[in-house]
Amino acid sequence: MMARPALDVRDLVVGNGTLTAVRGVSFTVPAGGRMGLVGESGSGKSMTALALMGLLPMGWNAAGSVLHDGVDLVQQSDRAMSARRGRTLSMVFQDPLSALDPVRRVGHQITSVIRRHTDADRREAERRALELINQMKLPRGEQILRAYPHELSGGQRQRIMIAMALACYPQLIIADEPTTALDVTVQKQVLRLLNGAVKERGCALLMITHDLPVIAAMCDTVAVMYAGRIVEMGPVAEVFRSPRHHYTRGLLDSQPTMDNIALDGSSRLASIPGMVPPLHDLPAGCAFHPRCNAATDTCRMRMPELVGDNAACWNPVAALAELSAP
Amino acid sequence: MSNIGLQHSAPSASTPAKAPRRGTWNMSLVIGIGLTVGFLVIAIVSFFYLPSNPNIPNIRFRLLPAGSPGHLLGTDVLGRDIVSQLMVGARTSILVGAGGATISLLLGTITGLIAAAYGKIADEAISRSADIMLSIPGMVTALVLAATMGPGALTTIFALTAFFTPSFTRVIRSAAMSVLQEDFITAAKLYGRGRVFILARHVLPNIAGVMIVQFTLYFAAGILTEAGLSYLGVGVTRPSISWGLMLNEAQQSVGISSPLAIWPGLAIVFVVLGLNLLGDGLRDVLDPKLKPRAA
Amino acid sequence: MAIYAFRKLAFFIGALIVASLAIFLLIRAAGGNVAAVVLGKDASAEAINALAHQYGLDRPIAIQYLDWITGMLSGDLGRSFRTNESVADLVTTRLSVSIPLALSGLLLGLVIAVPLGTYAARNVGRPSGTVLALISQVGVAVPAFWAGILLSLLFGVHLGWLPTGGWTPWSTSFTGAVRSLVLPVLSLGIIMAAVMIRYVRSAVLDVMNQDYVRTARAVGMTRTQALLRVGLRNALLPIITVIGLQIAELIGGTVIIETVFSLPGLSRMILANVAAREVIVVQSTVMLIIVFVITVNLIVDLLYGFLDPRVRASA
Repeated sequence: MMARPALDVRDLVVGNGTLTAVRGVSFTVPAGGRMGLVGESGSGKSMTALALMGLLPMGWNAAGSVLHDGVDLVQQSDRAMSARRGRTLSMVFQDPLSALDPVRRVGHQITSVIRRHTDADRREAERRALELINQMKLPRGEQILRAYPHELSGGQRQRIMIAMALACYPQLIIADEPTTALDVTVQKQVLRLLNGAVKERGCALLMITHDLPVIAAMCDTVAVMYAGRIVEMGPVAEVFRSPRHHYTRGLLDSQPTMDNIALDGSSRLASIPGMVPPLHDLPAGCAFHPRCNAATDTCRMRMPELVGDNAACWNPVAALAELSAP
Repeated sequence: MSNIGLQHSAPSASTPAKAPRRGTWNMSLVIGIGLTVGFLVIAIVSFFYLPSNPNIPNIRFRLLPAGSPGHLLGTDVLGRDIVSQLMVGARTSILVGAGGATISLLLGTITGLIAAAYGKIADEAISRSADIMLSIPGMVTALVLAATMGPGALTTIFALTAFFTPSFTRVIRSAAMSVLQEDFITAAKLYGRGRVFILARHVLPNIAGVMIVQFTLYFAAGILTEAGLSYLGVGVTRPSISWGLMLNEAQQSVGISSPLAIWPGLAIVFVVLGLNLLGDGLRDVLDPKLKPRAA
Repeated sequence: MAIYAFRKLAFFIGALIVASLAIFLLIRAAGGNVAAVVLGKDASAEAINALAHQYGLDRPIAIQYLDWITGMLSGDLGRSFRTNESVADLVTTRLSVSIPLALSGLLLGLVIAVPLGTYAARNVGRPSGTVLALISQVGVAVPAFWAGILLSLLFGVHLGWLPTGGWTPWSTSFTGAVRSLVLPVLSLGIIMAAVMIRYVRSAVLDVMNQDYVRTARAVGMTRTQALLRVGLRNALLPIITVIGLQIAELIGGTVIIETVFSLPGLSRMILANVAAREVIVVQSTVMLIIVFVITVNLIVDLLYGFLDPRVRASA
């Protein structure tokens, strides 16, 4: 029998009564697995993450089921969820400066997580915090622990966030654009640390980003979200090598690589025409059809379903050869 | 007003939920305009028509109850008509409140713009002076002025000016500074525009909204302060009439349980509430920080 | 922190000097011949000169200022022209009324405003939050003295629970003194609260939507824990600033409330001396109030620096 998955999401719907940000999303992150959730801003990926954590903004509600550690997270009370958050599942946010408490020393912020969820005393918690800091390859650990967030660099702050998320050996970490707010030069280091720490602990990772290379480097599977639904899902290598959904293909084509940036300035970098539709004004049928050049009448009228590891598309991209043609 | 703030900072970065379209007409604005216009109309009418002379005592008609013929809200201890006094009191409120707010706005705009645009030394000097002036309670300034100049409408306006100007300076300075950081100012500088031109043509129009809102709110504060000072006997005195003075006289002569202690208080509440609502409503409409950016 | 504290201390001393100069010059410039003002129109030139000489008013203005300041520093606040009483003695008895009134009023204001403001912030968009915002909007528009009058009308006249005014000294009857302070403190507290609720509400609202409150929940705090432990600790900073700003309001409120309830406090004394043109008494007592306000502001600034590591570092 297979190990219980770290996360099993079924038909997750997130809305606030008038708007629906996530419209029926299902996916599974196996224990120790690493999954990427990709999409443009507005695709519902961050709302999915917040729904999993039970941290939706006021007025927003989740429906469906999210199985994790033998319970359905959607059904849990705030109190029950708070006993889990930071212990069995935790989250790394986008902007570490605003995500850390400005008036408390970072050491205190890490130890308070440890002391909240374990019976470690103060000294034991401090010892573990220092260990985490060292694992995060932060030099002069004692000094860092005594620092306030504003005294640290962006990269250092994000490592503190990761240390807090890892502190209690969770089964799952959700990382929401963990490197977007960082300098390009430190993005890689932070990702490498996160990757290493996750692997070492056998912790599952749900990586949310719009950065496809990050997914390619860190994840086993990927789900592409568009307008609140998953439009394509599968193993990273497969999806990226031969995307089936026209949206995925558009995303891949709009990635700059060495050979599609022409030196003479006539860039061949493609972009997807149009914009992500607003939630209150979604088109009928496939939500992507107004921006899709392969759209047919079927696309305009009926919503395609995602079945298994496939693309939710009536006319999937045909073959590999077509994609790489000039 | 605050649900806008929530929209901005709610962690729904990836939901393209369009901020609900903010109508130009909101409740604060409508009620505020209604009360303020009523107040202004009453003050203007008082120049042309008063039920009777508010300053001539008539002992035969003293302390008439509300609803007496010719005296809608009755008369005071000297037989003076309450409605007429309230109408003239509205005039005083506007003279002193708006007078104090206007002078403060002028002084505050000049000093604030200088602090924002004329270098660090000017800024430090003006900002520190404003800090020091702000640490002297307005009531204290008013008392000192009353002790030296004697009480009166002019003294009160002076006191309000000393009290409000540093606040205006601060607000105008920070508003002007944020405008001065915009790219179009840099562009204007590159065209060789002078400082005064830039302040007059680019900065002032962009902070006009802030100025209007602040003026409205300090107009209200001025009325409230004037009423307080007149109540204490260091503000407006007879033959001028002020709502605060009427309350003072009512308490001195017939005690607080008389309806005479009710009417002026109600008048103050309605007018100040109206101006505050108007200010808040205008802020929602005019403050560029709250306005959804046009795509 | 040391640099920050030093800067604030320097501002404190600078503010005291500037404020004392301003008051001194204002009174001398606008008041004209002080002795003539005190003695009135009918006084003879000799009498005026004699009084001026007696109080050192014929000396150069700089000497008079320094004399006043050194006197203040050594606790000598000058003497009344008319009664020749020491201002220091006059002030001390008055303070036993004013200080309890002002501090309890501020405290009551905070006790009302912090929970209600927090509640209003947590219920934004719900009917209860809107009603509370509306009440505070109306509360801000009610003049301090009218609030006092209405309260004494309700509790003093109609219910008869408490005296509508007047003062029982502490030495005569402790409970009597407390009873005569209840309504004034209540009025002052309500006035202060009406203004502060709005500040607290927007401070808490601002903090509530900060990412770090969400982080606190993401590592295991419940919504309420995150708001109280992380949120309020951060909202404390703007709230402390508001207290600093409200001190001026508090002084004004105290002056008015003392008049409404005819309490023999410091401000009533100043008012009486304003009417009598006792310039020296006014000058010294007003300076005392300013010293109090500037000192409170210094404490607020230092407290702020103590509570916010960012301020400490940036100074």
